[in-house]
Parts: sequence; C-alpha cells; structure tokens
Amino acid sequence: MKQYRIETRELSKKFRRISLFRDISLELEGGSSLAITGPNGSGKSTLLQILAGIQAPTRGAVDRLENEESLEITAFHRLLGFASPLIHLYGECTGIENIEFALGSSDSRERADELLQYFGLIGHEKKALKTWSSGMQQRLKLICALAKSPPFLFLDEPGTNLDRSGKKLLYNRIDVMKKEALVIIATNEPEEVELCAEVLNLGT
Amino acid sequence: MVHDIYRNLKKDLQVEFRNRSSFNVAFAFAGITTLAVSLVAGGSPLSPLVHALMLWIILFFSAMNGLLHIFTREEEEGTALFLMLNTGAEAVFASKLIFNVVLFLLLEALVTPLYLFFLQVPVASILLLVLTIAAGGMAIACSVTLLAAMVAKAGGKGSLFTVISFPIILPILLVNITTTLAALEKPWPGPVSNVLFLLAFSTGVTVLSFLLFHFIWQDT
Repeated sequence: MKQYRIETRELSKKFRRISLFRDISLELEGGSSLAITGPNGSGKSTLLQILAGIQAPTRGAVDRLENEESLEITAFHRLLGFASPLIHLYGECTGIENIEFALGSSDSRERADELLQYFGLIGHEKKALKTWSSGMQQRLKLICALAKSPPFLFLDEPGTNLDRSGKKLLYNRIDVMKKEALVIIATNEPEEVELCAEVLNLGT
Repeated sequence: MVHDIYRNLKKDLQVEFRNRSSFNVAFAFAGITTLAVSLVAGGSPLSPLVHALMLWIILFFSAMNGLLHIFTREEEEGTALFLMLNTGAEAVFASKLIFNVVLFLLLEALVTPLYLFFLQVPVASILLLVLTIAAGGMAIACSVTLLAAMVAKAGGKGSLFTVISFPIILPILLVNITTTLAALEKPWPGPVSNVLFLLAFSTGVTVLSFLLFHFIWQDT
C-alpha cells in the first residue's frame, strides 16, 4: 500500500506588506486529518491553496510525497481531491459530463452513479449544470473532488450552500475517507472542525 | 497525455457548440466583412495585391476573438482551476492549440471561397493558394495560442490580445500576403519555400510554447 505524506517548512504568505501567516511547519500523512480555522482574512483558504500547489508561498516550501518520493505538481494534482468556492464547474456541461471530466474517463460510470445516488442527484445528471441550484452545484463539486477516491482530500468551506441533509452526507463520507486519505479542511464550522484529529488555528 | 488531450478537446467542443459564442462571432464577422467588401468594391477590378491584403485582414480579425476566447472563457467563467487540477499543463495547451488550429482552418475554408467568388478573383495557382492559406492559418493559430493564455491569465481582453499579438503576427502576415499574391499572379510552383517557412515557423513556435506554457498556466 502506498504511503502519502505532506510536509511544509516555515511557510509564510504576504500580500504586499500584509502578512497572512508566518513560519507554518506541518507534517501530515495518509490517515490523518487537519482542520484549518481562523477568522475571516486569516489565510485559511490561502494556506489550503498553497498546500494544494495552486498558489506559491512567499517563503518556505511544501513537499508532497508518495512512498517518500517527491511528487511533481501535475502528478500530485492527479492524487488530489479539491473542493473550494474558487472552483467552478462547466455550466454548459451536464452533471455527468463534469464528473467524467474529473474522473478522467467515462469508464467509471458506476463510480459516478454511486456518488450521484449518495448525494441525491440521480435524475439531474443529464441536465446542464447552469440550471442547477447552488446547493446542488456544491454537491456536484464535492462529488468531483471525491470521485477518484483521492489519497489527498483538501476541502475549503465544504458545507457552503448545503442543507442539513447534504452536510450530514458529506460529514459521513469524510468520516470514512479520513481513515486512509490525508484530509485537510479549511473551515470555521464547529461540526467540520470536529471531524478532524488536529486543528491549526491561524487566528492565534 | 493523448487521452487527456482528447478529453479536454471533447469538453471544449461541448462547451463551445452549446454556447456558440466564439464560432458565431468569428463566422458572422467573416461572412459580413466579405460581403461588405464585395458590395463596396461593386464589381470594380482590384489589384491582386489588394485582394491578398483584404483576404488576410478579414481572416486575421475574424479569428482573433475566437482564438482568444478558448482561454479567456476558462478564466472568466472560473473553470480554469477545475481544468488545471484535472488536466496536465501540456495536455491543456495541446488541446487548446488543436482547437484553435481547427477553428482557423474552418474559418479559412468558409471565407476564402466566399471571397474568391464574390470578388471574382482570378487565381493562377490554386495549389499554392490552398497551401498558403492552410500553412499561414496554422502559423497564426500556433503563434497566438500561447499569447491567448498569457492575456487570459493577466485578466486581459481582446484589445490587449490584438496589440500584443501584432508584433509576432506581423512577419507571418507579410509572408502570407506575399505568397498569396504570388498564388494569384504566378503559376505553380512560385515561392513554395514560403510555405515551408510557415510550417517551420509553426513547428518552432509550438515547441517554444510547450516549453513555456507550464510557467504561464501554473502560478507555483
């Protein structure tokens, strides 16, 4: 079984003169989970994006490892499930077309159907995404992040726009996934923080 | 990578055909300009040089919006991050490049016969004209695809694209116009080496774009 790990050394991020956070060193591996919390503007989403290789830190470095070997950014992205308010799916495409795009093939239709069923979207999958409600779009965004059963799962405010039942489904799924995957959630929702074994508060 | 290119190309075609904005604008612009030129010319004979100039000006400005749109659409609709996380940079570039080359070739296939028909342009060497139009279009599409990515990442619009692409496009346009002029005036083979230059230019600029695209596409 492959071992996945993420390591950061003295990560700092500045926007012009404003320092968001300084000297964050972390070490997380598959089967561990971390909640990043903090007030608005503290850099939760920015830190998550840096860990995901979407943004560069001002100082410090991030190592993403598979069996102790460093992963190239493209190889890492293939192993990453990422959901964030920054991500927008293709509105002109249907739900199933978006999932197939995230999965990388149409051969995994069973997996797509299983997740559509789980998140209560069966029956909507052939409609263009632009006709979906924001809550349904958030569910689909989560499906796309979870579709490949990724060993790295990074979620930014995953409960956004979800109703009570949607949140429950999501939390149950995260509970299962965190046993093997490396899960990081940027959030201020107490229920989402409780899902994680460790907490990093950027406000302190 | 081939699978990723196919997957992204399929997605781009789905989005573009359902949205139809870049195709509609490019083809409408091309059709209307060709008709307008033929009406204004009113049957009066124009010199082969003017025909060659007019043809490439119509092709260039018709295609600019469509060629840019393939990248700006991803940024404007916020889908660039979803694309970046699910497809490698090289596959993204290759699929967008193929899309742009096909778009330009389709546009040329529509505009050139229309232009020749409406303005009653005599052609001395059909083969050289076809080769020039195809190779010239490919050279333009290959050159501007990387620029389109740069403009999209910079949050720029069409005007910026036309301005920054002009210095790179200018030598290609000059070669296209002189070779098209030769095809209208001289029998085959004419300056067929110009066609080879255009193909070599396309290859060179594509290789360079492949090497540079990663740095434009990914901020890290």
